[in-house]
Amino acid sequence: MLTAGIDVGSISTKAVLLEDGRFVRGRVAFTGYNAEAAGRRIFEEILQESGLTEDAVGGIIATGYGRKSVSFAGRAVTEILCHAAGARYLDAEIRSVVDIGGQDSKAIVLDADGRVKTFAMNDKCAAGTGRFLEVMARALEVDLDLFGALSLQAENPARISSLCTVFAESEVISLIARGEKRENIIAGIHESIGSRVSAMARRLGMVPPVMMTGGVAKNAGVVQALGKALDLPLRVSPQAQLTGAIGAAFLAARPE
Amino acid sequence: MNPMAEITATLADAGTYARDLKKRTNGRTVGYVCSYTPEELILAAGAHPLRLLGTQQAIHRADAHLQTYCCSLVRGILEEALSGNMDFLDGMVFPHTCDSIQRLSDIWRLNIPFGFHADVVLPVKLTTASARDYMADVLRKFRGDLEKSLSVTITDEALREAIDLTNSIRAALRRLYELRAANPGRISGSDIHRIVRASMIMDRRRFLALLEEFLAEASGKDAPAAAKPPHRLILSGGVCNAPDVYGMIADAGGAVVWDDLCTGGRAFEEPIPAGGDPIERMADRLVKRAVCPAKHGGLTNRADHLVSLVKEKDARGIIFLLLKFCDPHAFDYPYLKAALDREDVPSLLMEVEDPLPPEGQLRTRIEAFLEML
Repeated sequence: MLTAGIDVGSISTKAVLLEDGRFVRGRVAFTGYNAEAAGRRIFEEILQESGLTEDAVGGIIATGYGRKSVSFAGRAVTEILCHAAGARYLDAEIRSVVDIGGQDSKAIVLDADGRVKTFAMNDKCAAGTGRFLEVMARALEVDLDLFGALSLQAENPARISSLCTVFAESEVISLIARGEKRENIIAGIHESIGSRVSAMARRLGMVPPVMMTGGVAKNAGVVQALGKALDLPLRVSPQAQLTGAIGAAFLAARPE
Repeated sequence: MNPMAEITATLADAGTYARDLKKRTNGRTVGYVCSYTPEELILAAGAHPLRLLGTQQAIHRADAHLQTYCCSLVRGILEEALSGNMDFLDGMVFPHTCDSIQRLSDIWRLNIPFGFHADVVLPVKLTTASARDYMADVLRKFRGDLEKSLSVTITDEALREAIDLTNSIRAALRRLYELRAANPGRISGSDIHRIVRASMIMDRRRFLALLEEFLAEASGKDAPAAAKPPHRLILSGGVCNAPDVYGMIADAGGAVVWDDLCTGGRAFEEPIPAGGDPIERMADRLVKRAVCPAKHGGLTNRADHLVSLVKEKDARGIIFLLLKFCDPHAFDYPYLKAALDREDVPSLLMEVEDPLPPEGQLRTRIEAFLEML
């Protein structure tokens, strides 16, 4: 059976098709202003790309902050459950998940059978999220996709002490004014994310092996900084950004 | 007007209600901040006890006096006073509980020109015989303070009457909670929350009459058949002035069946015992009631209370609803969580403020917790 997962995040919307549990195709697009339209558009696109029509899809689950606005989905499931299911789909050994998305971050602990045992989410503040990195990329005039590679070249990561995105931006601007190297500033930003997110994860008690999921996992610098702050190696799948949508498509094959 | 409509209308603007009540009855009104306040003495002094529960307006005046890491309850209460909304109060009572309430007392004394100001310096450790005697002395001193400030005499007879009234309210609230626990579909969490808040704001006799009327109606009513029985949950935390949370829990397929809140179970669960000197009886209740984390009732007292509530009420999980920056509750949380983990009781921690943080994130947390159960 063909199943679909639609993950409408705050910055990007993801769609995944699975056939009898086998990965067929994934897609990422900007969410923009209208979450409902974004979900609808990406679903049509992924069907078209696969040469399929909507009736070929046996089950659809929507997840992410815009999950309730996906009217064509059979049901909505929280991103907590979907990231847990998606992480287990990608790597059956995983016992903990740290997801850093566009506007929130979460830590999830699973039991041996992959069920969610406990979880924590960040507060309303955007520090330690993808949005935080976007703000910093703008301040530094660096393409966000280069952040990971650049930070790995840092000799001496700068200290970004602040926990707040707005304050951290002004700290970064003072560092720029002082002539600090970009690589060091970026590595410092990644360390500040690592320390913030690791504090939330530590409070929960991470059980290894731990997987990092979400769009920010594409940034090797954050992965390294977070792993260091947690004293644990992090597993990252090339499909990290699609994890929630994969989990949703996977759960869609099961009865409610 | 049916009882729920009258209660809802009162709560829509509690300040105006209390101001009008005072004018209408030509009476006096004494504000207070915490469920440890001996309301009975205020009632016996012929005054109306009015619990202050924060503010609906944006806070800016209070922030000039308080640190930023101060809970929204304390900030909201001060804002209401500084803005003049509470200037009809004849006095204000501060029981010794958390640090922020104690310092609020000082800031109030120095900055608020209207009404008398009274501290009720309750003992912290409540498990010893001397604490019990000290509690009775504190109540006697407060009785004297009130008599002087309001120029009245508080007779034992008036105090006994006040005890009968508050005990009747406590018993009725308990019946309300039991009715809901037996069948959560019958009364919504939001209604219960409104009723409990009204019990601290409305004229107490009027409130009791409304509650009795509500109970008579609700107990005769059949519960709507639910497609799927909701997950039974218990709320634990401090002051809950956020009724929207109940709607979110219900939408996600849960139902609150009991609570351990300052605006809830802790305020009404233990009655004042019968017989003997009224002050001694009040002291007996205050040392015996479920404690808040600013008091000591034994090393594992609060955890034991929560675990027994879960078992007694057949609950599936606990949601901790803590006010952001409430450190007594935050310090108690890890040991409570560990005790629940040992009993395999799932729990969720939600830090909230008044007004509530963005709804989406709270909803996601509640839904994920219920998916987990």
